Amino acid sequence: MKKRYALFPGCLMPTEQYAYELSLRETLPLLGVELVDVEGFSCCGEPMKSVNQLLTLYLSARNLAIAQKHHLDIYVPCAMCHLALTECQHILEKNPAMKERINGMLAAEELTYTEKTHLVHTVDLLHDVIGIQTIKEHVKKPLHGLKIAAHYGCHILRPKEIGRPDDSENPQKIETILKALGAEPVNYPQKLDCCGAPLLANLPESALTKTGQKLQAIQEQQIQGLVDVCPWCHKMFDSRQTKAGETVAVKLDVPVVYLTQLLGIAFGIPPEKLGLELNLSPVEKLQQEAKP
Amino acid sequence: MSIIDLTSMGEPQSELRKELNDRLTKLQDEISDYCFQCARCTSGCEAHKLLELEPHKIVALLKRGLLNELINADVIWTCMTCQKCRERCPQRVAPIEILFALKNIAVANGKQIPGKYTAMLQSILTMGLIQDVQQTTTRTNTTVKRDDLGLPPLSKPVDAAKFQAGIMKIAMEKV
Repeated sequence: MKKRYALFPGCLMPTEQYAYELSLRETLPLLGVELVDVEGFSCCGEPMKSVNQLLTLYLSARNLAIAQKHHLDIYVPCAMCHLALTECQHILEKNPAMKERINGMLAAEELTYTEKTHLVHTVDLLHDVIGIQTIKEHVKKPLHGLKIAAHYGCHILRPKEIGRPDDSENPQKIETILKALGAEPVNYPQKLDCCGAPLLANLPESALTKTGQKLQAIQEQQIQGLVDVCPWCHKMFDSRQTKAGETVAVKLDVPVVYLTQLLGIAFGIPPEKLGLELNLSPVEKLQQEAKP
Repeated sequence: MSIIDLTSMGEPQSELRKELNDRLTKLQDEISDYCFQCARCTSGCEAHKLLELEPHKIVALLKRGLLNELINADVIWTCMTCQKCRERCPQRVAPIEILFALKNIAVANGKQIPGKYTAMLQSILTMGLIQDVQQTTTRTNTTVKRDDLGLPPLSKPVDAAKFQAGIMKIAMEKV
């Protein structure tokens, strides 16, 4: 069955985390997902929550209204954006007065938030909508022997009460997908630890220390790679890995890939189409260590 | 509209300030009442070990009415927004929501916003996103931008004036 979604890119993925966008645009259509590019989206609002929550709510509602105008469900690859949009729907559905007030403001752009839209993130899109069986059928180069740790990212797991893509305390969907690719998911005590990214705006040193501590723990457990599903987490673990290592005085050498990149490797897609040269961590180790 | 209107919430903002204070009063009177100081929030807090944030103490201080002290404390800006405190509280208190409200009130009262938040807000007002397209470096030290990779054009507000007019309503709205 063909699935159609408006791709909500957010800010970070389309302006610097190109590997995520390249790899999801390469892999998802193979699995029967049609991604529709929609003009006019803006920031989801989540980065402004500490400054003004009404602004966050407005920006989220604005983006939902744009997708609703096109009668499309929304695929949100960023964990932060996914939380902002989900929370906005939760608030507007529960609070008609707020919905009316937000719609009054949206009128400036001739937009209206109408009704609840189906939102998916990479994890539930792959696990629940596409399904493990379909993923298995597309694997051409199984990743046998690769011990991979999963990092979900806080914002796709909590708060449970508004509905999140996986369980808040014991998420397993990425692990199930990793098994389908032939890899060996590793359980590790630091699995639910934060990547540190939300502190980038005002405490960048502390943010990197958080990143460094988690990567150091992963390195010490002889895990061969880390897989993530959020441009913010990836910015920390991959793009800033060297700097994160400096904060904990360790030379870090952990291959970090987006789940969609790993999917592409297992599907036999050439690395350049998956943006693998954009990862700054030593991802070539992953390709070498996979036993066909 | 200048950035000052949205951040310091100048004169037209007295109503919004009132709304924020009402929100906090609600949190103070209704929610923090349920907290029995079990400190489960603090035990899981991502900012606790590194930056000494203790969410259960924030709740206790709020209950004691130390609002001014709280909004002027740097520690409220150490929250990593991991949502574990909200998830794990047996009394559904959600310290994270209290922290967001405190930060919003600090901003509305003209306290200087730390770090890059102002720059991100300025960028949102100008082009709709927290930053414009960046040049990135590959592992082999070549630089690339979005266009070089064959990705479609960036999705951003088409009519910047209309987009700003919408946001302006937040800064000006009488609630």
